[in-house]
Amino acid sequence: MDGFMSVFSISLVQSGLRLATPIILAALGGAICNRAGVLNFALEGMMLLGAFLGILAAYFFGNTYLGVLVAMLAGAALGAFFAFLYLRYNVDLIILAIAINMLILELTVYFMRILFGQVGTWTDPSIQKLPDINIPVIKNIPVVGEIFSGHNLIVYLSWIAVVVAYIVLFHTKFGRHLRAVGENQAAAETVGINSRRVKLFALVISGVLAALGGAFLSVGHLTMFTRNMSNGRGWIGITAALFAMNHPIGTLFTGLFFGFADAFAIRLQNVTDLPPNLIQILPHFATLLVLVLIALREKIARAVVRSRSVARIRAGLAGRKAVAREFVSGLPLDSMPGSRDDGPEPAVEEDLASGG
Amino acid sequence: MLKERRKQLVNSLLVPFLAILTGLLFAGILILFAKKPPFTALAELFISSFGCQSFTNCALFTTLERATPLILTGLGAVVAFRSGMFSIGQEGQFLFGSVTAAYLGYAIHLPYVIHPIVIILASMVVGGIYGWIPGVLKVRLGVNEIISTIVMNTIAILTLEYLVNFPMNADPRTTAHSPLIDATAQLPAFLAGSKWGIGFVIAVLMAIGVYVFLWHSTSGYEQRMSGQAPFFAKFGGIKNERNAIRSMFISGAICGLAGAIEVLGVHRRIMTGFSTGLGFDGLSVAILGQSHPLGVFIVAILFAGLRLGAQLGLQLSFGIPRELGGSVIAFMILFVAAGKFYTDIIERVRKFIDKRRKPEIAGIETSKPGGGNV
Repeated sequence: MDGFMSVFSISLVQSGLRLATPIILAALGGAICNRAGVLNFALEGMMLLGAFLGILAAYFFGNTYLGVLVAMLAGAALGAFFAFLYLRYNVDLIILAIAINMLILELTVYFMRILFGQVGTWTDPSIQKLPDINIPVIKNIPVVGEIFSGHNLIVYLSWIAVVVAYIVLFHTKFGRHLRAVGENQAAAETVGINSRRVKLFALVISGVLAALGGAFLSVGHLTMFTRNMSNGRGWIGITAALFAMNHPIGTLFTGLFFGFADAFAIRLQNVTDLPPNLIQILPHFATLLVLVLIALREKIARAVVRSRSVARIRAGLAGRKAVAREFVSGLPLDSMPGSRDDGPEPAVEEDLASGG
Repeated sequence: MLKERRKQLVNSLLVPFLAILTGLLFAGILILFAKKPPFTALAELFISSFGCQSFTNCALFTTLERATPLILTGLGAVVAFRSGMFSIGQEGQFLFGSVTAAYLGYAIHLPYVIHPIVIILASMVVGGIYGWIPGVLKVRLGVNEIISTIVMNTIAILTLEYLVNFPMNADPRTTAHSPLIDATAQLPAFLAGSKWGIGFVIAVLMAIGVYVFLWHSTSGYEQRMSGQAPFFAKFGGIKNERNAIRSMFISGAICGLAGAIEVLGVHRRIMTGFSTGLGFDGLSVAILGQSHPLGVFIVAILFAGLRLGAQLGLQLSFGIPRELGGSVIAFMILFVAAGKFYTDIIERVRKFIDKRRKPEIAGIETSKPGGGNV
């Protein structure tokens, strides 16, 4: 039991924070796209491209920061390409994403093999890992310093990106336009918002963020590239965005949830005899469970809204019926059938109950 | 009306053809990146995938063998797509079908003929259930089927790795693999030394079966209508929810069948790294085959050939990585999906031809009276 409890320690928190970084970035990208009303299922491919080009540029230029920059530019370019095919040629978003994910997966391995002759993983001793940054004052505070200080640039960038995304989405004109396009594109266009431009920007930004997450994997967390390095993190990011109801601040917490699930699984491997494959499944089961929870929450929310509106309409109808009855009773024609005014209303109620 | 239909038919044939051509063009560019001669390499690609030197040394047979699981997983995807479910869970359903087949292959002992039939049915049920789960989650709760099936694929891959490493491991000293299945369970091949066999026949029958089911049966019609026009179907009294769940079960069952055939006919066991993406390729096959059984059949053979040619022809004799095959397939999907690009071009060409033809016709008409005088 003592061995088991050693799983929970400061180093768990540290590795949880690290493992959460790519997921937070992908989730943030996904959330922005969802807010703009474009499904971006290519986050996985964007992340993998960032990981590959990030380490490649770091190797050729001999500068890791330059590698991160190249990864971000590549992500932006892929996002723009995605947007071009979607907006210009009306390509189905899902098929487009499947093709791009597959293309990047195969092409990264292809170029890894023709450039370096490596099949599964590639690394070079000349590549420098992204250095850790110690924050002057915070690093001296006992526990807090250990948790919040000493991460690399991308970890801090991901936190900053969350805050910036929140401010841009909810406190700027561009964010307002973006949300308007996502909620009702036709209405947004009527008031003169260029919905194509908004979608293009959303896809480019999500590409930059996902590629940054990828660069974290290849030059921030480790200094190597492996086949399919993103390994489903883009998809987990999409789930995290849904889990956070596409709210930027929320993605920070849902990203941390998945990061900690991952870190926990890795720790568990060291202290128990459970087969590693079974432990690796745990975060994926968590994802599936979260997907079900998201759906349940939305279903309940819809049911609540519906029952409220039905109640309101019922109250309204009852009021109108009372007025009508008074009016009818005041008329000299007693033979006026009472069932007449009951006639259409139940149908209206039923319609609202089933369709609303 | 007829002209419109002919136009549509020409487009639906020309677009994939042009997309494949563009895909090959990109293959040539990628080969140039590897500093190899593109034309000889591409020729080699086709010789080593569809060539036939002699009856016993025939690459085409191997291609057809490799195409068998692709046809089936592609058909599985078609059934789901046509009912409006964008399931990408073929890989997971395929793997669970394989696991079931590998386990029942050595765990139970039955006479010839009966043994494979029992195994195939069991694999179909298991694959079907693995497809049914995301179907129910989607219909009853509204869980996005794309994300849930992706996650379930990963779960299936890891579960298979766990099973071959621990409970089903036959020999812990070498790379993890399960015991060989009984001789009674193995599916026979057409030729000695080849693994192209009964499985291919089953796949062809399944393709016909799916076609008949979707286009010539009442429940298939209902299924397609729930996919194409859900509101129309609903007002027509079709139960969309039930259809969606049923389609996911059938789709999973066909993928489970693919897994069973892959184990009974080809590998005869499961081993670590069994998941090579046959399910994902099936998805691509369905997209490129325009979600039609015939298209799936043709594209599956093309894909299997590309993969085989890239592996045997390019990687072994030219040193070009076999990932070229997958890249070209991805390019082709991209180009088919961007079909508007090609239809725009076709439209332009058509207008150009019409323009050149019309003055001629006009010229003939005006010259007619003059011709009568002479």
